[in-house]
Amino acid sequence: MSLVQSADEDLRLLPRDVTDARITAAISDPIIDKRSRWRWWIAVVITLPFVGAMIVALFGLFVFGVGTWGINTTNVWGFAIANYVWWIGIGNAGTLISSLLLLTRQPWRASINRFAEAMTLFSVSIAGIFPIIHLGRPQYFYWLAPYPSTMTVWPQWRSALVWDFWAILSYLLFSILFWYLGLIPDAATLRDRAATWPTRLFFGALALGWRGSALHWRAHKKLQITMAALAVPLVCSVHSIVGLDFAASLMPGWQEPIFPPYFVVGAMYSGFAMVVILSTLIRFGLHLEDYVTTKHFDAMALIMLMASLVMGLSYGTEWFTSWYGGEHADRGLVAFEFTGHYDVLFWFLLLFNVVLPQVFWWKAARRRLWIVFLVSIGILIGMWLERILIIWNTLGHNYLPSMRHIFITSLTDWTLLIGPLGFFAFLFLLFARFFPVISMYEVRELAAEESR
Amino acid sequence: MTHEVSPLPPLGSALSRRSALKLLAANIALITAGCGKPREEILPYVKMPERLMPGIPLQFASTLPLGGYGRGVVCTSVEGRPIKVSGNPLHPASLGATDLFAEAHVLSLYDPDRSTTCRRDGQIAAYVDLETELAARLDKIKAKNGEGLRLLTGPISSPTIFRQIAALKEKYPGFAWHRHDPLEDGSARRGATLAFGQELKILPRLADADVIVTFDSDPLGSGPWQIVNAEGFARRRRVRSGSKAMSRLYAFESVPTVTGAKADHRFTLAPDQIGAAAVALAQGLGANLSGRELPVELQSVVTAVVKDCSDNKGHALVLAGPSQAPEVHALAHWINQHLAAPITHQAASNTAEPLHKLLAELDAGEVSALLISGTNPAYDTPALRIADRLRRCPFTLHHGLYRDETAALCRWHVPEPHPLESWGDLRALDGTPSLVQPLIEPLYDTRSLAQLLAFFAGATDMKDYDLVRTTWAAQGGTGFETWWRKALEDGVIVGKTPASIQPGEARLPTLVPGSKATSPTLILRPDPTLYDGSFANNAWLQECPKPLTKGVWGNTLGISPDDAAKLEIEDGDTISISVEGREILAPVRVQEGHAPSVMSLALGNGRVAAGEIGNGVGANAFALRSAGEWRLDNVAIRKASGRTAYSTQKLFVIDGDREEIFPVYALAHLPAAKSELPKPSLLPVHDYSQADARWAMVVDNTSCIGCNACVLACQVENNVPVIGPEEIARNRDMHWLRIDAYALDSDDGRFGFEPVPCMQCETAPCEPVCPVEASVHDSEGLNVQVYNRCIGTRFCEANCPYKVRRFNFFGYADGQEYANLAAEVMHLHNNPDVTVRARGVMEKCTYCVQRISAARRGAEKEMRPIRDGEVRTACQSACPTQAIAFGNLNRQDSAVVRLREEQQHFSLLESLNTKPRTTYLADIRNPNPALPESRG
Repeated sequence: MSLVQSADEDLRLLPRDVTDARITAAISDPIIDKRSRWRWWIAVVITLPFVGAMIVALFGLFVFGVGTWGINTTNVWGFAIANYVWWIGIGNAGTLISSLLLLTRQPWRASINRFAEAMTLFSVSIAGIFPIIHLGRPQYFYWLAPYPSTMTVWPQWRSALVWDFWAILSYLLFSILFWYLGLIPDAATLRDRAATWPTRLFFGALALGWRGSALHWRAHKKLQITMAALAVPLVCSVHSIVGLDFAASLMPGWQEPIFPPYFVVGAMYSGFAMVVILSTLIRFGLHLEDYVTTKHFDAMALIMLMASLVMGLSYGTEWFTSWYGGEHADRGLVAFEFTGHYDVLFWFLLLFNVVLPQVFWWKAARRRLWIVFLVSIGILIGMWLERILIIWNTLGHNYLPSMRHIFITSLTDWTLLIGPLGFFAFLFLLFARFFPVISMYEVRELAAEESR
Repeated sequence: MTHEVSPLPPLGSALSRRSALKLLAANIALITAGCGKPREEILPYVKMPERLMPGIPLQFASTLPLGGYGRGVVCTSVEGRPIKVSGNPLHPASLGATDLFAEAHVLSLYDPDRSTTCRRDGQIAAYVDLETELAARLDKIKAKNGEGLRLLTGPISSPTIFRQIAALKEKYPGFAWHRHDPLEDGSARRGATLAFGQELKILPRLADADVIVTFDSDPLGSGPWQIVNAEGFARRRRVRSGSKAMSRLYAFESVPTVTGAKADHRFTLAPDQIGAAAVALAQGLGANLSGRELPVELQSVVTAVVKDCSDNKGHALVLAGPSQAPEVHALAHWINQHLAAPITHQAASNTAEPLHKLLAELDAGEVSALLISGTNPAYDTPALRIADRLRRCPFTLHHGLYRDETAALCRWHVPEPHPLESWGDLRALDGTPSLVQPLIEPLYDTRSLAQLLAFFAGATDMKDYDLVRTTWAAQGGTGFETWWRKALEDGVIVGKTPASIQPGEARLPTLVPGSKATSPTLILRPDPTLYDGSFANNAWLQECPKPLTKGVWGNTLGISPDDAAKLEIEDGDTISISVEGREILAPVRVQEGHAPSVMSLALGNGRVAAGEIGNGVGANAFALRSAGEWRLDNVAIRKASGRTAYSTQKLFVIDGDREEIFPVYALAHLPAAKSELPKPSLLPVHDYSQADARWAMVVDNTSCIGCNACVLACQVENNVPVIGPEEIARNRDMHWLRIDAYALDSDDGRFGFEPVPCMQCETAPCEPVCPVEASVHDSEGLNVQVYNRCIGTRFCEANCPYKVRRFNFFGYADGQEYANLAAEVMHLHNNPDVTVRARGVMEKCTYCVQRISAARRGAEKEMRPIRDGEVRTACQSACPTQAIAFGNLNRQDSAVVRLREEQQHFSLLESLNTKPRTTYLADIRNPNPALPESRG
């Protein structure tokens, strides 16, 4: 994966003729300029109905109650939890790209880390909504926090949900800080290039008085590397703990020690798939072909290929341990996965998550955007199916045959599955409009390194 | 409760635009004038009512009717409102237990759809008008010697009503009383006449029976004698260390019944084959009959049954069901007499005329005044076209709890008081009388049947109380008041049970060759939760899962898997069933245990004027009958659409570790007693042996007949809400206690029942996963749910291996009630000792912690420990078979400690090491070793 260590032409990420000025202009002009925004407006208008539907569904949920979800006595969890795990998974990739790839000196991350981090922010925020709106009494979600109440009751620390609360909260706060830290030099650039005083004021405030002095750069770099080092365990912990939501239980198909690592890889997997999709769209939307190149897609496809293998191995391990453990409940569950009520979904899951990504063994496939794009969409669907099936299969095929029921989806389920996607796109569009989607200073740094 | 007379004109169809505007204006004026808070005064008791202590419930004995016969009950009343019905141990039809109908009466009392006022032609009318009109008519009738005066009732047993009817007959010689019972077993009546030349009442004593043979009979099914049958049956089958005796039940059945489910051998046969088997049994016992040749397998079965019966003379009995021909009943009488069977015979004291005679008189225009009370022929005999016939009578008066289908056809309607709000008396099926006493002032301006009959007899303004006392005035001699008080206190009148009779030699019937009908046959049954349909507006009963199908909110057409495959029908399909042009639609339930070409359907559904709850639920199987048949031949079925089947359990076959879920043992092959080895644990194990109590429950699956009395008792006691069919369809059942039904491995239509309350695990999986400590243990190890701490993550239910927790997806009891259950009067049924749960909160069985708490308070007041048996959970006290035992494991003398040492004892999903406090005794069957498939 040492893509850039040599000056070999084939391994260059950026075109030969890029200059610092061109980079800065390409990225900052869309923010400063007011011209040619019709594409942005069309995109915003498309997302609005989704945002509206989501708001209406949330309103209905609060007024009529949590019963508007499709959940039932057997399948007490449903779309809300699956969506939550899925969004958290997507949120995993951004910080992973910025921190792990920074630490491992992967320079190609420079072009994608900013919007990958923004993606993290938005998806973690959206993910954080789901555990709250899944509650029977969402108004009391703060009881998970140890606040000094007059009843002197504290959260119950053995519950994975309390760990979850902290994991999400710290991950979200950290992601904001990390994202903001990376933004400071670029905010200063925009402050200096701003055409109007409100823009200048806005980015000036964000830039925190950045002057680009060597001292600034030194401190910035140091802090960034330190935070990246801190981020890596956080990235792993957040999804491990999500995995523990299931693993720290007694249900067949859930109580498996493999869950935490398997969830982390799954999260990275879907996160990269989302980054691929966003990269493609941004590249197209903002004409950034020079900075987000096929080589980026190649690298991300390789990571997804690796993840698909790990996922396949994890599934296989689950089946093997169920068979080898010999528990009737576990074996019955695996049989139910393949042949039960949700079997078609399960086969699709395997197709999308394990089979299709194998095309990435071929370089030609990795460098064809549409293939990477389509496979990534498949992965996102497959990963969502995986999360919902973990819930449906285990809860639906529980220990007692008398309480086995299927899940019947409701309108709220579908609205709050689709709606947040639009909301995410909406937030992302706002971000793309008002912030530099690519880290200018890091790309400049990369260009300088490549031309050395 | 008082009702102010409205100063406004009644709202009828004749409301003109002008008067509507007037009313509107008046309303606006009233609203403006009536602004502000209404003036209310609250006053403390100046004089404390005797016995009435706020917060201290009172208990009164009374009697509640089912099918006209009484079951003694003890009602609990809190501050003047009855909230719970329990059994009366002194009453012979209760024996301390209840059935689901008795439990459900509390809801019927507060039903907002009950009729509240006297009506003429559907419009609200005053009693004075009725009295005037009736008096004039009675004068005319009197002049004609009472000709044309008719009374039509349902099955009744009240001595007071009987006395009044006799008095009416004296006053009006032409008066006649007709009785109509839609669930009447005509075959039994004719069978007794064939055998003995007279109608007889037959009461089997299952407790004395070692061998029971049923021919399509369901003694354990719903009915006024169910509790007694169930108790006797279970008593004879209680396997404990030291008493391994167990009766043996052979069921010859064409469709599944609860009795067949519990049988040791069940044979699925067409109704005619069952008749042939009965003939063969009689022949085997020496009857001189020529019968059809039986198939070889069946002949060997009958031979084994014959031997078993002969070996147990004096302790073997045969029962025939309503779908069998009168000849089979007569044969059963002969066999029983031959076997000296433990059966009590009583004279049938039916002096009433049948319904069809009344109809003929109506057609002839001979009826000039008709009082219909407590029966609903317009619903349950639609083939008789009651509507057309009632039109020929100038004065029809309907008397009932509801303005039902028949009420709509009558000129007058008088609301009836609920049995919990009026005085009366009833006899049990065995004739034992008991008094009905009111627990509450009548909620509405109602008149009892006794009052109406008194008016007919010329006495106005009579009180029920006086009428009942008059009936019994001769008792106790000068000490009548003492006698009366004792009768009320005990809830039963001793020494008044009619003696049994010796019916004489039973004659063998002349056998008519069984019709070789191969056409589809439909067997009708009373609905296990709605009975004859009179309970259709009771939401608790509508939502109570039927024992064998777990269906709720409607009936289903039962059909065998083979037939379904042949007809290409799938479970849940809607089927049109028609007999001689009479057609209904019902969803299908494919189920083992139906004979080829034989289907089953429950009566009592498909009401159209039951009320908001019961209207349009299910299919009215009465509509297929022409004259009270229980078996319909030449049934045509075809696929249709439009009906949905609702059920709370979908899978009845155990796909899992049977030993851990529902073990079944043959009596001869009981497992060795398990010595429970403590399983290793990484976590510190809390020791509850030093706690004041370690509450535990042991449920005997052998005894459970799936009758649902416990399910209803739990619902009533714990304010468990009803959620309605739409929510049931989403699988959101709220019952804290459910009865799981599992097919036995033999696939012969037999089932086992397993009541599943909360297991109260000592290492409860629900507790560590709750983030807010809403699911916690108390000092006695009870797993308690803190409702106001619960935020509804539902992790506890996700992690509960038994799935016993129930979640308020909506405010089922608190703002989002189903249908009319939000009505203000409905709040009266709630138990004040149990929180009504809000939306978004998890709930579950608490072992009736409020009862434990009450016992603890009582014990602490007296400075003593709680006695064994002092705490009885609602499910336990309701159970007619005493399948549920409850007690303190820390007392070595308690029943649960002994039961936990039985060899058939097991814990549900024991390998999970949840250390449940609720444990089970496995289902034990007693197959005849001489028969194949004698596997339990």
